[in-house]
Amino acid sequence: MTVTDHRAPAEGRSETAAELAARHGLTRSGARPSLSRYLADVWSRRHFAISLAGARAYASNQVSYLGQLWAVLTPMLWAGVYLFVFGHVLDTSRGVDNFAAFLVIGVFLFRFTSTSLSAGASSVIRNQSLVSTLRFPRALLPVSVVLAELLTLLPALVVLLGVVLLTGEPPAWSWLLLPVAVLLQSVFGTGLALGTARMVSQVRDVANIVPFVTRALMYVSGVFFSIEHYAGPGGLGAALAHQPVAVYLELARGCLLQGIHLTASTWLWATGWALGALLVGVVWFWNGEEGYGRD
Amino acid sequence: MTEQGTERTGPSVVVDDLHVSYRTYGGRRTTEPGSGRRFTLRRHVAAVDRVHAVTGVSFVAHHGESIGVIGHNGSGKSTLLRAVAGLVPPSSGGVYAAGTPSLLGVGGVLVKELSGERNIVLGSLALGLSPTEVRERFDAIVDFAGIGDFVQLPMSAYSSGMSARLRFAISTATSPDVLLVDEALATGDAEFKQRSRERIREIVGNAGTVLLVSHSMSTIQQTCDRVLWMDRGVLRMDGPTDEVVAAYSESVAQPDQERR
Ligand SMILES: Nc1ncnc2c1ncn2[C@@H]1O[C@H](COP(=O)(O)OP(=O)(O)OP(=O)(O)O)[C@@H](O)[C@H]1O
Ligand SMILES: [Mg+2]
Repeated sequence: MTVTDHRAPAEGRSETAAELAARHGLTRSGARPSLSRYLADVWSRRHFAISLAGARAYASNQVSYLGQLWAVLTPMLWAGVYLFVFGHVLDTSRGVDNFAAFLVIGVFLFRFTSTSLSAGASSVIRNQSLVSTLRFPRALLPVSVVLAELLTLLPALVVLLGVVLLTGEPPAWSWLLLPVAVLLQSVFGTGLALGTARMVSQVRDVANIVPFVTRALMYVSGVFFSIEHYAGPGGLGAALAHQPVAVYLELARGCLLQGIHLTASTWLWATGWALGALLVGVVWFWNGEEGYGRD
Repeated sequence: MTEQGTERTGPSVVVDDLHVSYRTYGGRRTTEPGSGRRFTLRRHVAAVDRVHAVTGVSFVAHHGESIGVIGHNGSGKSTLLRAVAGLVPPSSGGVYAAGTPSLLGVGGVLVKELSGERNIVLGSLALGLSPTEVRERFDAIVDFAGIGDFVQLPMSAYSSGMSARLRFAISTATSPDVLLVDEALATGDAEFKQRSRERIREIVGNAGTVLLVSHSMSTIQQTCDRVLWMDRGVLRMDGPTDEVVAAYSESVAQPDQERR
């Protein structure tokens, strides 16, 4: 199709719109850039994602009198409930020394991945108002969701260290590795969030399935039991122990608890899952970049 | 923000046979007469419909032009602007624009539960400013919005005019090559309308292009030298303000022949 530019000097022929646009240095609106360009864009707007994440984490505690105090109170109350129920009322050990600490680490860190997944999945469709007003690489939305979850995890980690100390674990050098473990887990969560965000924005129904996935993950990841103790070392047990969420829980427990010893292979699995998920998530999300504004 | 090498005369927006359709969830139109009962199930399960909002629009806008867009409700004006901004993907056809067009819309609340200040920072960062640039321009944006210490309250506490002011201030913080204004001035008071008109003139004076959607013919006549008339997704007329506005007003006066 040709367009006529009334003001342009008559050139004896009409050119196509694309030629006219190219001649005047115009670019296609909303076009998906190359992957490297896209990543550069994401990087250059990182402050937007950080600021959005901070704002979201902040806003989640905003509508109450105690306000930001809830950032610390919430994990303390959860820890209190678990310590009370499993330390005093039920008093099981399920084949684990220091079951209370084992459980609290499991619950807090599992929550991090499961909320990254569920909030990440709806990160694009929940932010339609931003998406339909401002042009920015959409990958920033799932990324900022995971950052926000990371920010809510930080006070919980402080509470966690308190629980670990309270239950009689001595401080150890391996505690210093915890940030690395959490970082790997965040990278994995980012991959998950990117991947599911695109699926949900294309087929809304996927969002209805996410809660079942997270619940199933909870039961197979050894949040409140030791996989080895229940499923045994071979076959199924090995498969369960090497799935990503179980790997990250194992990693965090290994860093904090005396009774659990980490091997290099756990670190390798953790790194592999993180990088693999991120790579797949980024490429898959970038591929759908042009479709996100469509309601 | 002007990129090096971008020409400051000539076309700034080229729209070529643009089609945009939306997908809607949770309801279907049952158009066949008398078939209402038979198709009730489809209105609850797999109730996904398509709305063709823009069907085959072409035009070229130039640097330094301010163009009005008029038409009935639902004629596709907002959709056209969103497509120019690259916010909704065209289902076919092409949209080319200089730089990154900045859209200023009615529904475009940034993040409701956050304070005006936070929204200013977020909006400016999303527009591509660096944190230092945001810090430099922050006061100017707050001044221009002119909503006093309400900037510290969450935007959910704002009146519609107040949030319109804030959004306008954010969107025009950078001097975009192409500014798209969708009824954003409608809820402002006289003083704000005056100021925003000046700001628009400034942008046009800097060889920017402004596309302005409005239902107020006086706003269109005061701000625009060219008008696009959208009608049910097609571009019905494109020409000098006086002619198009006159034709539009005439068609509004005889609604029977014009509405479906
Ligand atoms: N998010 C959406 N999802 C589905 N359909 C939509 C959406 N937005 C607009 N539409 C449809 O697209 C068509 C054009 O809408 P649009 O908002 O562009 O009209 P408009 O000219 O801006 O109207 P108004 O004067 O009321 O603002 C309408 O039929 C509308 O129903
Ligand atoms: Mg509209």
